[in-house]
Amino acid sequence: MVTNIVKRILQTVLILIGVALLIFLMLRIIPGNAILTMMGDKTNPEAVERMTAELGLDKPFYVQFWMYIKGVFTGDLGTSYSLNRSVSELISTSFPNTVKLAIAAALVAWIVGIICGIIAAVKKNGIIDHLFMGVSLLGVSVPVFMVAMVLQYLLAYKLQWFPISSGNAGWVGYILPAIALGWNSAGSIARLTRSTLLEVLQEDYIDTARAKGYRQLYVIIRHALRNAVLPVITMMAVQLSSLLSGAVICETVFSINGIGRLAVAAIEARDIPLLQGTVLFSTVIVILGNLLADCLYSVLDPRIRKEV
Amino acid sequence: MKKIIALILAVVMVLGLAACGGKKDGSDVEAGLLRVAASYDISTMDVAQTTDNYMIPMNIFDRLFEVEVQADGSTEIVGSLALDYDTSSDGLTYTFVLREGVVFSNGSALTASDVQYTFERLLTAGGVNDDVPLEVAGAEALKNGEADTLAGFTVIDDHNFSITLAAPNAGFIAELTGPAMSIVDKETMAEVDNFGLECEDTIGTGPYVVTEWVVNDHYTLEYNTKYWGEEPSVKKVIVSIIPDPSTQNLMYQNGELDILDLESIDSAIVANTYKTKYADKLVSGSRVGMTYFALNANNEYLSDVNVRKAVQMAIDVDYIITSVYAGDAVAQAGIIPDGVWGDNADLARPTYDPEGAKALLTEAGYAEGEVQFELVLDTSSSSNTQLVYQIVEQQLKAAGINVTIRSLDESSWLDLRKSGEMDSFIANWTMDYNDPANIMFTFFGNAEKTGIRSLNYANEEVMARVAAASGITDDAERMAEYQELEKIIVVDDAAWVPLFGNVHLFALGERVASFVPYWAGYSNFYAKDVTLK
Repeated sequence: MVTNIVKRILQTVLILIGVALLIFLMLRIIPGNAILTMMGDKTNPEAVERMTAELGLDKPFYVQFWMYIKGVFTGDLGTSYSLNRSVSELISTSFPNTVKLAIAAALVAWIVGIICGIIAAVKKNGIIDHLFMGVSLLGVSVPVFMVAMVLQYLLAYKLQWFPISSGNAGWVGYILPAIALGWNSAGSIARLTRSTLLEVLQEDYIDTARAKGYRQLYVIIRHALRNAVLPVITMMAVQLSSLLSGAVICETVFSINGIGRLAVAAIEARDIPLLQGTVLFSTVIVILGNLLADCLYSVLDPRIRKEV
Repeated sequence: MKKIIALILAVVMVLGLAACGGKKDGSDVEAGLLRVAASYDISTMDVAQTTDNYMIPMNIFDRLFEVEVQADGSTEIVGSLALDYDTSSDGLTYTFVLREGVVFSNGSALTASDVQYTFERLLTAGGVNDDVPLEVAGAEALKNGEADTLAGFTVIDDHNFSITLAAPNAGFIAELTGPAMSIVDKETMAEVDNFGLECEDTIGTGPYVVTEWVVNDHYTLEYNTKYWGEEPSVKKVIVSIIPDPSTQNLMYQNGELDILDLESIDSAIVANTYKTKYADKLVSGSRVGMTYFALNANNEYLSDVNVRKAVQMAIDVDYIITSVYAGDAVAQAGIIPDGVWGDNADLARPTYDPEGAKALLTEAGYAEGEVQFELVLDTSSSSNTQLVYQIVEQQLKAAGINVTIRSLDESSWLDLRKSGEMDSFIANWTMDYNDPANIMFTFFGNAEKTGIRSLNYANEEVMARVAAASGITDDAERMAEYQELEKIIVVDDAAWVPLFGNVHLFALGERVASFVPYWAGYSNFYAKDVTLK
């Protein structure tokens, strides 16, 4: 397993260099001048020229890329053009907010998803099953921005239960964004939990457990769920990384100062270092999430551990 | 099952109670606090590095002069840090008397050396806002490193100084009112490393100090107890960064914002909600400037004055104002916008006559549909501007002119426009100071200026006269010259298609008694011009 992890880490480094090169290339191929955007329309051409030279943007592409990669491996992601701060500093300030949002959303997704999945499996083909599966299908189908705006309008504006903007509202501010972001994942978890649980519940050893006189809940929790949860856990790990890297819309709608909003600001301002930094950072998160899922999988399933 | 449902309901109720927002009338909000929103964060507080992040500089620094909005809506230039000034007979030298007893928020006294340092710094540290100091004699030498000081600036004593210009400029005092001319402290600047980025390093004489800046989240201004002027009603300002306009809209309606800038709010919401439900809460300030349609004289068709005249005749500005802006805009006739000194009220607007435009094109030898060019859109423009593009495209088509809308992101758009190769575009100019030179010289001052605006105006004689006009010291003569030049450019050469000037609306919350927007209608404003109930 250790060899496998080391192999994956080495692969990760290669992927990161590839991603960095790709972003670097793409941002330079597209037309437009980032310095013009940064300095504003009313700036004179000499100032733009001077700033271009100061930021090294007049150097050949390979020199710029080499300088960037050197910086990345020493933790220096450059300085944001639009916010005038070190990209690493901006990411380290914003990332905790994204983590809070992702964890809150993951909790909503996992707790609600698993509970609904179990109930739906137990009440298979009943009204509750149809209701839960309908709601989870809605969660999977409706885009996050729609859920976010509807929740914001109904629960924050109409009922005034929550603040409209999460910015200065503390933990309470994360409830609505967490529901909006987590609903989609909850839907997937519920549907997967239901289907895997239903499959396991057909197994002979479940009948044996029931024959021993155990209560239904005990059979489900101790015998069925343990075996049904493996694919669900894989999905949870992958979801966590995608929640971390995909909170863009929720952060914008609810004004949370996270990585997603930082990336949006970078795109709008054509802020190359900030955009490179946020994309690269998100890539690392997704790769680590997948690595974590693989590790968990091998820990939980002895057969996989043996294969490795 | 029942237990689970009960548990969920209980959790929702507890969270709801814990989360219950404040009162809509804001009666539970800290006294003296003003809550506003901005769509994006600033990049710096240093005017030597930015041409638009002015909210903090306007409030923590002072200028030598300010523009004051009078009760009747007219504007007047009044002394701020400068008490008085005198101009030499040749119009070249200005002698100023500085207000005594003014200190920066860190206690350092304001002296003439600080003003000198401010001018020199704008020339040497940034070059972003050096237009005004560049007019001073010896500015080029200092900027190019050929001199150590600004030759035209003489410090007489702590409170008296003179400035000699390289050429007369009757609009010089007006230029000193712009946020770019914020006065900084020479002593503080020598001691700090992060002026413009760190709150404690960014010190001014203005009514507020900046106490907190959480990047991409919010910044806070608090009353400067050492301020020389009258104590403002607003003691603290929190500007939250709320990128989503619909969130800003709901926050205002929920009593979470005290002033809402309606410029970013969808015009349909403004018309249906704000102009009905909140009509008595609206305050308007004209955006002193204009939205114009620029035509590139280097284009195959637009190089012909008849085509440019046909374009002027094809646009129905009144329809645009009614359909897109619900009447919240004023049609413009020339280059100098309404509200700016020198505006010619007698100049007639181009007549809307699509049939006349068609006839003019036929007369000039063009076949039906032959005239075609690109109309280039900056995709970061507001939804209203994008709608204007579509309407203009249709109106031109009705007059037999085929335009293709090409969409580019802001960066590419600016790059193409500054290359001088953009066929045509619609954009807005907001005045930096109240003088016609700010728009006339910027767009038609010389070949380079007209080139970077993709106008490529070819009349060199007119451009030379525009450049010379700022040196006319007699006000009446200068105004007559600008108006004559404006007529040649707009009417005779049809090199400019004036569209409209926007009315900038703000909605006031329950806690705000009055608010006077900045004279030029910026989104940024002086917090001291807000009075709380």
